[in-house]
Amino acid sequence: MRRSAGIGAIHKQKKEQGKYKDKGSELQESQLEQMSKQLEVFRINLEEFAGKHRNEIKKNATFRRQFQEMCASIGVDPLASGKGFWSVLGIGDFYFELSVQIVEVCLATNYKNGGLISLDELRQRLIKARGRSKQHQEITIEDLLSAARKLRIFGNGFSIVPIGKGQYLVQSVPGELSMDHTAVLQQTANLGNANISISILKTHLNWDHERAKKALDHMVKEGLCWIDEQNTREILYWFPSMFSECITAR
Amino acid sequence: MTYSNWPWQYSFPPFFTIQPNLETRAKQLEAWRSLVLDYHRALKLAVLDVSEAERSELFNNAKLQRKLPSEGIIQVLESLAKNGNAEPCNKAKTRWYIYWHTLPEWADKMYNWAQETGQTNSVCTLFEIMNASDQDFYGLNEDVVIKALRILEGKQKAELILDGENSGVKFF
Repeated sequence: MRRSAGIGAIHKQKKEQGKYKDKGSELQESQLEQMSKQLEVFRINLEEFAGKHRNEIKKNATFRRQFQEMCASIGVDPLASGKGFWSVLGIGDFYFELSVQIVEVCLATNYKNGGLISLDELRQRLIKARGRSKQHQEITIEDLLSAARKLRIFGNGFSIVPIGKGQYLVQSVPGELSMDHTAVLQQTANLGNANISISILKTHLNWDHERAKKALDHMVKEGLCWIDEQNTREILYWFPSMFSECITAR
Repeated sequence: MTYSNWPWQYSFPPFFTIQPNLETRAKQLEAWRSLVLDYHRALKLAVLDVSEAERSELFNNAKLQRKLPSEGIIQVLESLAKNGNAEPCNKAKTRWYIYWHTLPEWADKMYNWAQETGQTNSVCTLFEIMNASDQDFYGLNEDVVIKALRILEGKQKAELILDGENSGVKFF
């Protein structure tokens, strides 16, 4: 195909490009306008929805979970602030209240577990403390995780330690746990015991003696575990936070 | 009589090893103190013999195959003594009185009882005190009763008359 050449053709081309540009920005503008309209509608609907279902949000664990999932998928954190757009939902209030209660339980059980508590025990205690009505009982592990994560803003005095199989420990004493300490907790939970030893760590994690001893000594020093010198083979390190009689004790 | 009110710590093996971490040890000793007092209260035992204690179920959990060594038992007793809940019977500290109520507490209880039952200004025998069936000090060891009454004596609230089986006390 023969291309047109010459000054006329160039002018024509330029003119066409200009037209496309105009059309493009026109389209963009209308899209933006439409989107802000949609957002406005969304906001109004959401506020209406929240107003109507405020109690439902506090009561219904399934709803909360779905809402959290929705927010996560669009990259919004409804708990980021107590003020503003999301506060109308009352979602924040619910979790802030829960955070405070989590701190209370951690402090109340510190005397026996040294500041390490399983999320399951935490949940049981919270439910007991929150009263008998159904809305207070329906606290899910996801709710607790969301609320406990908020407590990170207080620094490293509060952290969540995943120990595998969907199990978590909440640590409520200052002093961050290193990767090795977390690995010790995971290994202990994994074996389904409340105790661990240097030789178990050597076998299962391929650690050398020094590394295992250093990690365990640190956890003794932090008051997270107790030593048992009367085992026939070697010293056992026991975690009250994973010991069932301790968990169920008042 | 058997004891059944074991705390969770009693089935926790490291409870029987004195803990190196001071904070943990403080929690451990606190749990031991309340267990020892509750055990003696429930079984009405006034005296603990250290060499026997090593074999008693209190410090020796046969099921776990764990026992608190005698140094541990001494530590528990010393820490009870600090709170007025124990006192060595002899210089060698091989036998100890265990007070689940401290002596001043016992003294108050006896004095209140005497007042409530209208026994002030008259003599009652130690036997009567130890057989006041509705009282905490029912069945209490005679040595402990006398020690508590001595405290009242020091406050001029009682006078002891020690005469073997006829020993008694006059409350004022």
